[in-house]
Amino acid sequence: MDQVLFHKYGGFAKVSRIVLDLYNRLLDDDDLGPFFENVDMSRIVDHQTKFIASLLGGPASYTDDQIAKMHRHLTIMPAHFDTLIEILSETLADHGMEAADIAAVRQELEARRKLLVE
Amino acid sequence: MSIEAINEQLLRAIGVGVALLDLRDLKFRFLNDTFTEWFGEPDAEARLFDLFPALDAEALKSALNDGGRYATETSFKVRRRTMTVAMDFNRALEGGERIAVLVCQNVTRIKELESMIDSYSMMVERNTREIKREKEQVEKLLLNMMPRSVYEEYKTFGVVTPRLYNPVSVLTLDFCGFGELAATLDPGVIVSELNDIYSAFDRIGEQFGCERIKTIGDAYITVSGMPDPQPDHAMSVANAAVRFLRYLKHRNDSHPIAWKCRIGISSGAVIGSVVGVQKYIYDVFGPAVTQALRIRSHAEPMTIAADEAIAQAVDTRFGGVPMGAHDLGGEGKAEIFRLEMLPEAQQGLSA
Repeated sequence: MDQVLFHKYGGFAKVSRIVLDLYNRLLDDDDLGPFFENVDMSRIVDHQTKFIASLLGGPASYTDDQIAKMHRHLTIMPAHFDTLIEILSETLADHGMEAADIAAVRQELEARRKLLVE
Repeated sequence: MSIEAINEQLLRAIGVGVALLDLRDLKFRFLNDTFTEWFGEPDAEARLFDLFPALDAEALKSALNDGGRYATETSFKVRRRTMTVAMDFNRALEGGERIAVLVCQNVTRIKELESMIDSYSMMVERNTREIKREKEQVEKLLLNMMPRSVYEEYKTFGVVTPRLYNPVSVLTLDFCGFGELAATLDPGVIVSELNDIYSAFDRIGEQFGCERIKTIGDAYITVSGMPDPQPDHAMSVANAAVRFLRYLKHRNDSHPIAWKCRIGISSGAVIGSVVGVQKYIYDVFGPAVTQALRIRSHAEPMTIAADEAIAQAVDTRFGGVPMGAHDLGGEGKAEIFRLEMLPEAQQGLSA
């Protein structure tokens, strides 16, 4: 994906709000929240900042290996991944992202499913 | 409702945690709603350290005794979320009793934002470093393609003004039988051989004030007298030329492939400019280049052919053997010379 989405939606100034909103929603979710229960706050925020930035084509890139390694110790089921996609989509929609762009982000995320899900 | 009652209502309702502590035993005397929401409702006999066992008791007591103020932070989890609260203790007097007012502000959001800014700035810094590295690579590449002063002009203005350089001396060189060699040798071998030889030529040329302009396959062109004028440009190319030959002879003695070259040198004017829009290249053209190419075609293998201007300009270490008059692209025919370094001068030859 090109740089466009990250800049189209206002660069870091705006994307930072999406990141914190997503952080709150994920922690509040009873399926996904427990994954973050015992992780240091700054690490979660760090990962989610990079995650969103790279998903939107901003200045970050995790290699597939890094992503797989980071999640290897977790037992992530297909339903967990589905929930993540839904929560992210809702968050992006609430921040004014257009449907076509959300679809593109979902596709990006879907392409990485096999790296996380057992 | 009395003012006191309103004040108490306000104190209870605000989003800041407030507690009053008896300084003698550090028991709680008052807690507002926000405070109990965050830290629970301690029983009547509870002391400060029962609720906050991680607090540094000594530091707190001495700070309150000395300056009357102590500030710290505490973190705890609320529904999986790490909350961070800034605690500010202030000593106060109430009717002769020593108490401390504890004000707690929720700084969770600030901490989260700090983490995010840290994360983002690290990404940006890494990107900046990468961009800087890439820029250096590009600069190196462009400096290989054009003289530094031309590159500086290109960088500043985005264009390079074509410029007439007069007088300069041009050296052109090619290899005899290159077509056959290219057809028979492995491409990788050809390229590495040329790389090796051209690098040596570049080094020698640089020593004598020549600026390599370009190579096209087996043709090598270097110029002296540009971009900065050089009074002894003819000597520069003559010196470089004899050393090119000498280098090649030495190299042939110890390498399986023997390269034979012809060199043509000429003085005159050239135009230097970046040519092309997308695939741009710094190039020189003009009478001196055309002449040098024509003169080269008359050179025997492993010899240097020069025009009259060069033959006259070089000093007594060089000798010129007339090769007859030839058409060099100007008016009529012009005399050309085989240029050699005289035997007595060769003794001090290096490179």
